[in-house]
Amino acid sequence: MLGSASFAALSLKPQAHGATVSGALPWKAFSADPPEPVPEGQRLFFTEAEAELLSAIADRIVPADELSVSASEAGCVTFIDAQLMGSYGSASRLYMNGPFEKGLATQGYQGSQTPAERYRAGLAAIAAHVEAQTPGKAFAAWSADEQDALLKELEADKVTLPDGVDGQAFFELMLKNVMEGFFADPVYGGNRDMAGWKMVGFPGARYDYRPFVGQHNQPYPFDPMSIMGNADWVRKGG
Amino acid sequence: MRHGGLLRFAGWAVIGLFLAVSAPARADGLVQADVLYNGYYQSVLGDCSGCHTKAGGALLAGGDPIETPFGTIVPPNITPDVETGIGRWSLEDFRGAMHRGIGRGGKRLYPAMPYPYYALMPQRDVDALWTWLQTVPPVSNAVEANLLPFPFNEREAMAGWNEINFRPGPFQRDPDRSDQWNRGAYLVRGPGHCAACHSPKNVTGGDVADRYLQGALLQGWFAPEITGDAWRGLGGWSEEEIVAYLATGTSGRAVASGPMREVIEASTSKMKNDDLRAIATYLKSLAGSDGARPTPVAADNPRMVAGGAVYRDNCAACHGTDGDGARNLIPALAGSAAVQQEMTDTLARVVIEGVQGASSDKAPTAPAMPALGWRLSDAEVADVLTYIRNSWGNAAAEVEARSVEDVRAKLK
Repeated sequence: MLGSASFAALSLKPQAHGATVSGALPWKAFSADPPEPVPEGQRLFFTEAEAELLSAIADRIVPADELSVSASEAGCVTFIDAQLMGSYGSASRLYMNGPFEKGLATQGYQGSQTPAERYRAGLAAIAAHVEAQTPGKAFAAWSADEQDALLKELEADKVTLPDGVDGQAFFELMLKNVMEGFFADPVYGGNRDMAGWKMVGFPGARYDYRPFVGQHNQPYPFDPMSIMGNADWVRKGG
Repeated sequence: MRHGGLLRFAGWAVIGLFLAVSAPARADGLVQADVLYNGYYQSVLGDCSGCHTKAGGALLAGGDPIETPFGTIVPPNITPDVETGIGRWSLEDFRGAMHRGIGRGGKRLYPAMPYPYYALMPQRDVDALWTWLQTVPPVSNAVEANLLPFPFNEREAMAGWNEINFRPGPFQRDPDRSDQWNRGAYLVRGPGHCAACHSPKNVTGGDVADRYLQGALLQGWFAPEITGDAWRGLGGWSEEEIVAYLATGTSGRAVASGPMREVIEASTSKMKNDDLRAIATYLKSLAGSDGARPTPVAADNPRMVAGGAVYRDNCAACHGTDGDGARNLIPALAGSAAVQQEMTDTLARVVIEGVQGASSDKAPTAPAMPALGWRLSDAEVADVLTYIRNSWGNAAAEVEARSVEDVRAKLK
């Protein structure tokens, strides 16, 4: 991935900066750009109260049922927390200067806040709204039906949250991020034990299926695999 | 002087064609093109630039440091530069260096300079090499060659080393063998100095005679056995495959990498085909280690089961589920002597840091393997190596995680 800084340097300077390659292709030992594994349960961005509220919301988006564990059990909150601490949270790869206009629905969020700022403000606004509805009783203590009702209203843009927070847009952000956490590679903190992949039958970060191309209508025999491998790689006994 | 001038001109044209060397020749008088060409070819056979030219650096102006068990040696500048090269050397000095390991002013050379092998070269060829060296562009580059710790920094100690390890030339023909075999024996034992890497060393760093070319570890690479042994040597290779490997970097099933990649690119890919064939004939005639092939580790051994999963998920896409690789590009592991060697340092190393194959005019691609050390633990590397060493008819000792850990520690 070309960083934005180096791209700017390329486009502003008059002469080309591309390397000239002749003879053998360039190659370096240890050449890899591996992801930094997110430890289970890591919490760097959210406060405890924020994490509790987001867990309760995420667990209505992906509840624990006969298909899978819940979103929070699968590490989705850990995933979002890690993302908000990184380049996604700070929007460091996005154009973030004005003008800020409300765009078309197809254009997504066009405001001035980074995703990290939106979570901080959005969760605070929902907590305040809940406190106004049921003083002393947090969202996590509501019944599933009560929780679903509020989330549906947010999704339908029927709730006016304090401090000008766009409840519908924030709900959509959480919905998208929870799904990402549920289906992204486990190395990023979510999709724990490849729960999301097992649910849909995705074989994971594999790159060669030639021995199976001709085997029609037969289940793929191997467990899904993370970028960092799976339990099959670990010696059992011996 | 018109006649001489014309000849001189013709000579230069030929030199230019053969050598693409632009600096003026420094030898006095008329230089015969065939002498120069022979000298250049001797530099190919001896792979001078393999050590004396830095990666991407000026020809013969000093090389990258060589780590030896005794310390670090830096190959010096052997361009004709007066101050920093060998511009002050005489032909006699050069003969002394090549044949006796004694350089200008009686200074003893370390046998990292392979004079024990060059000693087999006829004086005619050494002289031709000297003549060619005069045409190399002089480069000013001062090299501190001797970075050895005491007592190895005492060059006089090499007199004792020579007593133990050095048998002066010239090459002795074996009259019972063919000309081709004798040519191969000369090239391998002499200028090619194959044993410098491929023969196990005694405590003084000399070759162990009765384990000739049976594989050795140096600079973090295990140079495999290259005798005719059917299991670990070249017994399973045809002469054509050996010739192709040395000429292009790939035999079809094997792809050169590591230090051998440099040897092929700088030396063997520029050798005459007849010489490569002679080398193949000689190497295949050597009896070798004759190690008894062990029983393969059982497929249901937990190391093999785990290693098989690692192989399937990391290696099989290129090296094939059946270990057959991809012709000329990806080495076959099935039947590969290289993966069944006594020491597994090379194998662990290429899995951890990746590796790039040789690039030659006839096979320029230089296919590369990605580094996998960032996602494979020492135990996973050990198990996948155990797996490739004991699948598809291969058989070799299990690999311990501890030895992978050692390799990884040295690479960092």
